[in-house]
This record gives sequence, structure tokens and C-alpha cells, in this order.
Amino acid sequence: MRFRARSIAILLMSTLSITACSSSNSDDSATGTTGAAASCAPSSGPVTLTYTTWIPNIEKVVDVWNKANPDIQVKVQTGPNGNGGTYANFFNQLKAGNAPDLGHIEYDALPSFRVQDGLADLGGCDIVSQSKDKFVDWTWNQVTFGEEGHVYGIPQDAGPMALFYRKDLFEKNNIPVPTTWAEYATAAEKVKAAGGYITNFSQSDINQFAGFVWQAGGHWFGNDGTNWTVSMADDATKKVADYWQGLLDKKLVSSVPPWTPEWDNAYNSSSAWTWVSAVWGANSISSGAPKTSGKWAVAPMPQWTAGDKAAGNWGGSSTAVFKSSKHPYEAAKFALWLNTSTEALTLLNKEANLYPATKEGASLPALKEGVAFYGNQPIYDVFAEASTQVKADFTWGPTMTKTYTDASDGFKKAVTGQETLLKALQDAQASTITTLKSQSIPVKE
Amino acid sequence: MTKRHFSAVLFFVTPFGVLFALFYLVPIIYAVVQSLYTVERKGTFGPATEVFGGLVQYRQVFSDAPFWQSIERVLLFGVVQVPVMLGLALVFALLLDSGLVKGRRFFRLAFFLPYAVPGVVAAIMWGYLYSPNLSPFTAVTATADLLSPTLVLWAMANVVTWIYVGYNMLIIYSALLAVPTEIYEAAKIDGAGAFRTAWSIKIPMVLPAIVLTTVFSIIGTLQLLAEPQVFKSFSSAVSSTYTPNLTVLNASSIPNFHLAAAFSVVLALATFILSFTFLKFTQRKGVQ
Amino acid sequence: MAAFKLPKYAAMLVMAVFTLYFLTPLWWLFIASGKKDGQVTEGHALLPDNFALGENLSDLFRYNDGIFLRWMANSIAYTVGAAAIGTLLAGMCGYALAKYVFRGRELLFNIVLGGVLVPATALALPLFLMFSKVSLANTFWAVFLPSLVNPFGVYLGRIYAAASVPDELMEAARIDGSSEVRTFFTLSVRLMAPAFVTIFLFHFVAVWNNFMLPLIMLGNERLFPVTLGLYSWNTQVNQHPELRALVLVGAFVSLAPMVIAFLSLQRFWRSGLGAGSIK
Repeated sequence: MRFRARSIAILLMSTLSITACSSSNSDDSATGTTGAAASCAPSSGPVTLTYTTWIPNIEKVVDVWNKANPDIQVKVQTGPNGNGGTYANFFNQLKAGNAPDLGHIEYDALPSFRVQDGLADLGGCDIVSQSKDKFVDWTWNQVTFGEEGHVYGIPQDAGPMALFYRKDLFEKNNIPVPTTWAEYATAAEKVKAAGGYITNFSQSDINQFAGFVWQAGGHWFGNDGTNWTVSMADDATKKVADYWQGLLDKKLVSSVPPWTPEWDNAYNSSSAWTWVSAVWGANSISSGAPKTSGKWAVAPMPQWTAGDKAAGNWGGSSTAVFKSSKHPYEAAKFALWLNTSTEALTLLNKEANLYPATKEGASLPALKEGVAFYGNQPIYDVFAEASTQVKADFTWGPTMTKTYTDASDGFKKAVTGQETLLKALQDAQASTITTLKSQSIPVKE
Repeated sequence: MTKRHFSAVLFFVTPFGVLFALFYLVPIIYAVVQSLYTVERKGTFGPATEVFGGLVQYRQVFSDAPFWQSIERVLLFGVVQVPVMLGLALVFALLLDSGLVKGRRFFRLAFFLPYAVPGVVAAIMWGYLYSPNLSPFTAVTATADLLSPTLVLWAMANVVTWIYVGYNMLIIYSALLAVPTEIYEAAKIDGAGAFRTAWSIKIPMVLPAIVLTTVFSIIGTLQLLAEPQVFKSFSSAVSSTYTPNLTVLNASSIPNFHLAAAFSVVLALATFILSFTFLKFTQRKGVQ
Repeated sequence: MAAFKLPKYAAMLVMAVFTLYFLTPLWWLFIASGKKDGQVTEGHALLPDNFALGENLSDLFRYNDGIFLRWMANSIAYTVGAAAIGTLLAGMCGYALAKYVFRGRELLFNIVLGGVLVPATALALPLFLMFSKVSLANTFWAVFLPSLVNPFGVYLGRIYAAASVPDELMEAARIDGSSEVRTFFTLSVRLMAPAFVTIFLFHFVAVWNNFMLPLIMLGNERLFPVTLGLYSWNTQVNQHPELRALVLVGAFVSLAPMVIAFLSLQRFWRSGLGAGSIK
């Protein structure tokens, strides 16, 4: 009996303490309004900041900062990528009140963190607002949500898209390099006739499709201040969906899921000929398909109308300061150095293949050189141009991980012939609206 | 007896009991409480306040068709995979124990080794072996697409079987070792052969261990996570709601802790009902 | 004689076939670990060609200042201690459940059984909040303390205690004036040795393989166990494909401590058995 009474007592005590912890936490967030930007005063005396990211070898970059800034020491922690667990950890830490000062957050996840009231508004930091012009316009828009005077993160890297293609095979088969999507479809038929696939349709990673929609001028999410709107089947998206549906129906694209060994093998064995991908994709091909070294080239992304100059974006991330940070000024100062200084950007590019989000970053010496894998073409010039052609007004929704998995479930059905891509997008829209409502996020249907 | 050994019982039970209460019971109670809450907010980026929502999360769980389909799916999986796996485990344990097999130490290690491979790594590995163009077993992968909607469930069943047969074998085997040898001596004198001894003496003696491994396999089946999570990335047949636990994971990565908690509570209840029914069934049959 | 030989051959054949089934994927992992530059898809899948295991190993041990070796050391630290203490606690609890009649015995047993029913995914947040509350999140203890609890060990302990510790022996010890606790440590522990080894082995592997708990608790890579480290590399192979090779080599290397643990435990197992069996 005594044993039972005791364990129940312990249990009750701990339960009470957890409940107390979580309720006090929600009180905090209730008082924190999203109105004006918080003040951003420098701390007095030396500070130590914590920074969580998953960039490989980030320690080497942070060491450079720590040597030069004895008063603002940064302790870096690395872990799995965002959706692999680090975001979940951030959410838990925000709830427990022990989030780091700085965190690595991809653009498409920033709205989720803002909805959870986790981000410090750096709009009040003069060093931040003065840096606006250093960044490529659309990246700045991603971290400000298009709101004047508010900044929720410092842009770090970008994923402007272009067309990777097998120069040798296109030449050998007399296929002109496609400049429009219509030409791309024609090329797809010729590639098929030559025994290959022009590319795969990415059913399990929705980001590539989102990049296509971004280029076509689609808008999946909107936010007028009182309500969210979800329009995953707007006209531009419909155009893109119908286009790829056509290629799938004619079996002109393969359905090998991306990022699998099978998919690498398709490139390595020359059965897949092109990939419309982001700048960081250059590394994916060169390590996944070493047998094809020297045979690739990069051209601008195919256009919907001949002569247009529009590019999509796939990926990219920011360095955000969490609301619980006691030193937002110093954190912002570090994040700015990390993402704008030539020495940091050079190191990030060298160690982790990051493509800078700043305007000047495009002219880093390393990004001007020819790349052997791509026949010594200075491929980054293509991406530098693409980066200026990315539309600035694409907004991500506040529950993107769920939206992606819903869309991916539908896309998987589409590639196995059970439904269409458009239907998949309409379903994803419906379930996204359900998800928003279950989180009581206001949404207009 | 009860009174006399009370302090000894307390001594034996308390250390485990306290830790168990702290690291299992308290989190469970917290999750149940969370499942009864919901959030409210104002404005498109308004911060959330937690309010009591009664059964509002449960309403969503019960109207979630893919969740219930996924429960059906893992049940089908379990009905086939669990008997196959435990059948094999029992046969191997009996063979190791029978004296018919030489090199017992080697087989014990060889069969148990797959369990030492972390689940995620095992699934990635089998993913390579199943890939139509990469597999060393092209004879198999050329005739049947193991990652197609009809076969992928059984492809995963194979991974789970591969990992856990040796594990379950060792549980049953060590139960066999605990059986007093006098019983076998008596059987030998009665002239019972190895097969008879196994069937009418050994199996009944280790039935509690078999029941136990079955219950744990039922629980494991309903909580299937690592394999579908990995297979999701290379098979179009595996959706993000393929198993109940994937749904829990999805809800918690929104992050919607309340909904995730409600899913977990319902999943735990379903697991409880199944294991309990199984236990009652075996008890009626006279086990234990 | 022939009648006796036949089942012997059949038994060996069955065991040999399944040895192939269990070991071929591991052999594949070994071959894949040795592929030059992580080109797993190149060359023969089951024969070592273009074999560069040494080079891959040195890449693995050098990557990020040798973080992998640190992960291995962490894993051993989490695992050995937690399994040793956890086995003792679970064994004691199972022993009490098996050998004593007390009020609430079945209730306690059922609660412990029930604890396993709730998916770990749901317990993540509450556990993290608890450890944050006492400022132990992101420390060694956040992984070590919960790893001590092994409900499964309690069931095994109960079953084996019931089977291997005769009531008569305990009664005899009582008559000799030994206290219950002393009887347990001097007599019952020895009788339950094979059970303890089994519980320890399972506990060891479970803690070694657990990556959910460290994933939630640890933000600091320096504290990661090897499974979480490999998992975290694997989440990055899309943008950093060079990590793919390290994941495979790392997975192969991480099997070594398990093999050592198993082989050394097997010895105890046998000697434990020797006490009461002549099989």
C-alpha cells in the first residue's frame, strides 16, 4: 500500500509540474504579440550564443568568427536536417523555453515557426534593416513575409533552378537544347526514341514541383492579415500539372523516386538525360553519376513563353533568431556576418556547397570558375542569372510539412495511374485547409 | 507471507517502479491530458493559447479514414507476419536445443546479428536489395516488383522478419534452457523421441515465452515505423499514412501535439484491446 | 543409425539455408562499405571488386575531426551502464512479481505491460519537457536515465524466476536465517544467471539501437550515440551525397561492439547453464 501511495504522489507531483510548465509557457506566448518589432539593444559585456544547424563542417566557419569576436562567442550544435528531427526539436524546445539563440530554418518552414510564435522580429535591429539591399530581393521577401519593417530571419542560401542536361547525348542525337517547356516535351519524345528518359517526375519530393509552379507564377498560399488563402490548383499550377500529367500519360518521364540509389543509377548509366534542379543539384549529379563526368552542361530553365526569363527556386534557408534569445542584437550580428561576409560565404560554399543569398555572393571567385564535371563550363553564371529571375512574391503556408506529405501521397497515386496530378493537388489543398483549421489558423475557403 | 515479506518486495520493486512511473506513466498521463486540449489563435500569425477542447481531437481521429485503413493494413501484416516469424523462431530454438545441430554458438550469433543492425539502416539496406536494377538478386526483382502496391507490404514483412526472428529465437531458446533437465530424463526413459519430446514437453513448457513474444510482436506490428518511413522514399506504394504510427509522426511534425496525442491514445487502446484479447484467448485455452 | 542421421542432416540443412538468409544482407553491407568513393551501385554487389575498405574507414574516422569514434564511445557509455543497472532493476522487480504474493501484484504487472502500448512518438514531448524542467535536457543523463527502464526485462525476469528458482530453496534459506534480500543476491541471482544474461543482452541491444530518445533529447552532436549520428548523416545525403558512403561504412563498423558483446556474453550464458544442465 505504501508503495502505491508513494509512487502516485511522485507521479502527481511530476504531472503538476509539467502542466504548470506548459501553461506558463502558453501565457508567455499569449502576451507576445506580433505587432511592432521588438527592440534590439546590444547587451553589455561578453555574451555566448548557441546556434543549431545541420550544415556539415560549420564548426570551421564559426571558429573564424569566434577568433575575431571574443565578446560574442558562438557555440554551434549540429544534428539531423530540419524535417529529419531538428524542426521537431526546435518546436519542443520552444515549448520548454530552452531553444537556442539561433537556428537554421529553411524558407518553407519559416511560416510554421512564426505561427508557433517562435521567431524574434529583427526588424528593429538597425544593422538588419540596413542590410536589406545586400540580399537578392526574393530571399529578403521570404524572411520578411513581404511586411515592411519586420524581419524574421537572415537569408542564408538560395536554390535558383536551371536545366542540367547531357550535352553529349543531346548533340549525338541532334536534339536541340530546349528553351521552352514545349521544346522540352518534344525533346522528351526524341530521348524516349533514343532509349532514355528525359527525366523523372518527382512524386516524393514536392519541392521540385513547387519550384516549377513558382516559375510559372503560381501562388499556393496567400495571407491578407486576417485570413490565409490556399490555392494549390490555381491557373499556373494547373498549367504545370497538366503539362507533367501529359508527359506521365505518354510515359515520357520515368517514375523512379528521387534521391534513391535507383535514381542515381539512372543518371550514372545514362538512362536519364536531364534534370531541372537547383544550384546545389550540381553536387548531387557529380557524386551520384561519376561515370558521366565531363558530359553534362547547364542551360537556363525552359520557359512557358519563348523569350521569357523566369526561374524557379528549390530550397534555400535562413538563419533565424528565436524569440527566447536574450541577445537578439548579437545574434543578428553573427547571422549577418555568417551570411554576408565574403570569408564566411567562401567557407560555406567550400565546406558545404551553399549558394549565397546575397547579391555580391554570386561573384565569389569559387563561383566564377569552370567545373570539370560540366565540361569546364562556368555553370554558376547560369544560376547567378537565374537567381535574379526568381519571382519575389511566392509565399509558403504555415503547415508545409503536412502539405508536402499530403501532396506527395496524391502524386504517388498519380504516377501509379490511380488519379491525376491535378486531383492530387486539389486533395492536398482540402487537407491543408483541414490542417489549418485544426490548428485554428484562420483560413478563407 | 504477504505481511512478512512486505519490506523485501518493496526493496525489489521500488527502484524499477519509481523510474517506470517517471519515464512511462507521467508522460502517458501528460499525453492523455494533452489530447483533451486544443489551440485557439487570432490572426494569421496569432500566437496560440491552449484551451480545453473535450473530445474535439478524438472526433478528428475517428473521422480520419486513412488512419483506420492503416490499422487494417497493419492487422493484415500482423496476421501473416507474426505467425511466420514466431514459427521460424520456435523451430530454430527447438533445433538449437535438440542436440541435432552442431555449431550452436555460431548459429546463435548469425541469427541474432540482424537484430543488432539499427532499424533505419536495415531498411535502407533492404531498399538496395529490392531495387530492380541494383539488386544482386535480379532473378527475383526482374520477375516481381517488390516495391509495387501489391508486394511492398510483404517486402517490409520480410525486413521485419529478418530483424526479429533471431531475437525471438533467443527468448524462446533461453526459456528452453530454464526448463529443468529432469523432465527430459523422464521422457527419455519413457522412450519418447526428439520430436515427441519437443511437441509434448518442450513446447508446452515454453508456451508462456511464446505468448509473451506474440504480445510483443502484436505491439510492434501496430507501432511499425522505421520500415515504412524509409520505404516511403523509394516506393510510390507507401504513403505518409501507411501505418498508424506514421500518422502520429505526421501530426506531431505539423506540430499539432494535441492531435498527435489523441492518435497515440487511440492507437494504444487498439493495441491494448488486441493484446488483451489474445491473452484472454490463450488463458482460456489453459496456458499459464 | 540411419534413422537418427536423417533428422540431423535435415536440421543442419535448415540451419545452413537460413544462415544464408540472415547473413547475405550483412555480407552485402560489408561489400558496399568497401566500394571506392561510395559507388555502391558500381561493380558486383556481392563480390569485392574495386575494394577500398581501408580508405573508406580512414575517411570515416577522420570526418569532422573523428566525430564517429566519439559517437561509438558515447554509445558504449550509454549502453553498458544502462544495461547493467537496468537488468538488475528489472530482474529484481520480475523476481518479486514471480516469487511473492502481494496486493496489487497483477495490477503492477499489467501497468508495466500497459506502458509498452503507447507509441514512443507520443512520449517524446512530455519526456523532453520533464528533462527541460530540471535542466537536464541535452545532457548525458537525459538519455541515460530513461534507458534504465526496461519493462520487457521485468516480464523476462518474472518468467525465468518462476521457472528457475524453486520455492523450496527459498524456504530452506529462510530456515537458515537468511534475509529475503540476501537470499536474492546470494542464491537466486546465481540460479537466474542465464535469465540475467538474456535480459542484459536484450537491454544492451535495445539501448544501442534506440535513436528516438537521443533524437529528442540531444541537440549536441558531441553527445550523440552512433545510431543517431548515422541517422543524422543519412538525412543529409540529398544535398551532401558524399555522406552516403560514410553511413554504410559506419553502419558496418557499428556492428563490431554488438558482436563482441554477444560473443563475450555467450560465455557467461554457457557457464550459467552449466550449473544446472548437462545438455
